[in-house]
Amino acid sequence: MKMPRLSRRQRMFVQCAPFNEERIRDRAMRAAVFRVHKTDEFANQREFDRAVAALVQTVPIPEGVTAWLSKGIYVAAPKRTWKQALRNPAVLAIGIAVSVIAAIFVMKLIERMNEFPGGTTARRLLTVASSVHSLMLDPVKTDAGALGDYFFMKHRLPHYDVPPEFADLRTLGCRVFDDEEGQRVAQIWLIEKHMQFFIFPAERDLKTGAARHFSGWRYVDQYRWTGVVQERNGVCFMAALRGSEKDLAPYISKPKD
Amino acid sequence: MLGDAGKAQEIFQAIMHDAALRAAEGELPNDRLSIFRDARYRCLGASEAGLQAEAIELEEHEIDSSAPVQIAKLEPAQLAVWISAAPDPQRTALALFYLDEFDHEELLALSELKTAELANLIGNGRQEFQAWLNATFPREQAFEEQA
Repeated sequence: MKMPRLSRRQRMFVQCAPFNEERIRDRAMRAAVFRVHKTDEFANQREFDRAVAALVQTVPIPEGVTAWLSKGIYVAAPKRTWKQALRNPAVLAIGIAVSVIAAIFVMKLIERMNEFPGGTTARRLLTVASSVHSLMLDPVKTDAGALGDYFFMKHRLPHYDVPPEFADLRTLGCRVFDDEEGQRVAQIWLIEKHMQFFIFPAERDLKTGAARHFSGWRYVDQYRWTGVVQERNGVCFMAALRGSEKDLAPYISKPKD
Repeated sequence: MLGDAGKAQEIFQAIMHDAALRAAEGELPNDRLSIFRDARYRCLGASEAGLQAEAIELEEHEIDSSAPVQIAKLEPAQLAVWISAAPDPQRTALALFYLDEFDHEELLALSELKTAELANLIGNGRQEFQAWLNATFPREQAFEEQA
């Protein structure tokens, strides 16, 4: 078989390719050798090289040399660097797996840290907020802060008050309904940013029946809706809108008297 | 590299002596090639001190399919003398290449050559050696003995 056309680089590789296949570790060299391995010219070269190497192998090695070499003291044990270890596919796979587990753990931890009594109800009410139309509400146009008395007088719901931070906002309508757990929930629709308020009983301890308190404002989100929740006197208030925490933050950043 | 077993052994022992001293001091090199590199430099130094081969342009012949038969007739010492007479870096390239100890990258690192240079030196070395074989064992003789 005749020598195929080779690039200059391939010719170079063929010229200096080790005659021992095990020593060809370079992919480009292996490819070049593969192209010519059936040619007569390359076969002659290989036979030539192997014959010379066989002759080299017959060079007698003095006993002293063998004894020295067998001690194996001339090279330090190879030290694995961090870079080499990281390039190992097994280490890489373990690293990725550990990173994913760590990320999930951190996410769960953050979720746990953000959880508060009544958080589940708040999320469910965000779903209600996303599906309810203003037509379903009784039209009431007033300041949100005035509706606390309205809920008490008409529905006998004590402490269903709108916190001072949101009390000045104008309302479009409101309603009171029973949620899936039979809790009385007040819903208020506002003009500003199509915001909605929900006032609902705080989560209660199953043994004692006492309301489970938490301090400050807590954020909750569900399906692109975000709510900010506060508990006071065993009643939770949630302001909800379609958006992110950034949209709600200005309202609660400056507490009002 | 030297074509002289006595000198080679002296150099080997000197290298091992140094390695033993370094081991005692806990300063062994991490690089497996370092000992071969050291051996190469020592061999080159030793050969510079002795008689120098005359720089002549050798004839080059195409590699023949009967070359293995010709090579089989050689004594290892003849090959060693032929390689040691080659000018460096060709001498280094041929010695390391036929030692069958190194891959391509290691050969380049040890001989301090580029792929093109190494390929050229080995390719020419083969053809020069073939010419020498043809001169030492003429074709007719090789074929007669083969038959």
